[in-house]
Amino acid sequence: MISNWLDERVGRGTRALARRTSRRSFLGRLGSLLAGSTVLPLLPVARALAAEGLTEVGDPESCDYWRYCALGGTLCACCGGTMSSCPPGAEPSPITWVGTCHNPADGQHYLIAYNDCCGKAPCERCFCHRTERDKPVYFPSKSNDILWCFGTKSHAYHCTVAAVQGRAEAPS
Amino acid sequence: MRWLPALLLACSAAGASADDARARMHYLLHCGGCHLPDGRGVPPEVPSLRGDPGRLAAYPDGRRYLARIPGASQAPLSDAELTAVLNWVLTEFNADTLPADHEPLTVDEVASARRDALADPARERRAIWERHSLD
Repeated sequence: MISNWLDERVGRGTRALARRTSRRSFLGRLGSLLAGSTVLPLLPVARALAAEGLTEVGDPESCDYWRYCALGGTLCACCGGTMSSCPPGAEPSPITWVGTCHNPADGQHYLIAYNDCCGKAPCERCFCHRTERDKPVYFPSKSNDILWCFGTKSHAYHCTVAAVQGRAEAPS
Repeated sequence: MRWLPALLLACSAAGASADDARARMHYLLHCGGCHLPDGRGVPPEVPSLRGDPGRLAAYPDGRRYLARIPGASQAPLSDAELTAVLNWVLTEFNADTLPADHEPLTVDEVASARRDALADPARERRAIWERHSLD
């Protein structure tokens, strides 16, 4: 009794849907949705990162990107990873050095952790050398010339990520 | 005027919270890169800041040691900023091991200790750990 009623309702709904749409239009919309959802995160435009909760502008594959203000090394974003995650097969070093950068999108300063990704041959793309508040190597905890592949299985340097750790005061 | 004490208390709490946030920011900027944001470190290369600093705070030479270690004494922070960071580390990561009668480090004792550089930090560490039977 219930199954007959259910069959009838489902059949009626399906026929109504078929009258209003064609298979071609459905497939077209599905294709647009899938393609759009794949491409959207790659666009180098202003974006709100839910995980880190901030708005950013620029191209993460460019040395000029705001987060890289003190990065010496190659950008993981150009090497199969992202600005804040290592490429597959590379291990993030737990130890890092931390600087501050100014985000032009919201005018705030942020703490940026420059973690090296280790265990693969060096990535040769997008080498950057920016030195805001960088110090000489005899001040190792504040030098971006140090390779930070410590605490990892391999000390081989691959590339560097720039993860936001939180808000910072404007440097004096 | 009955609300005045409550207002003063709220302002005081907000000030303490802002001081904590600033100390945490300095910790992340100058210490957390190696000791990690939660202070657990990467032993044996980078010691944990959870546990032992609270035990050291029970002894005068232990309190000085906290400000004498190179990472602290050479941090590009003023004496007051370094004192705030060390006190934040003690209360944030070491609440379980701090002595019951613990008094926060003062700016004067940190200023004096950080200028008394450790010539051999590893040897000093072994000596102080043995002296106070720390693990």
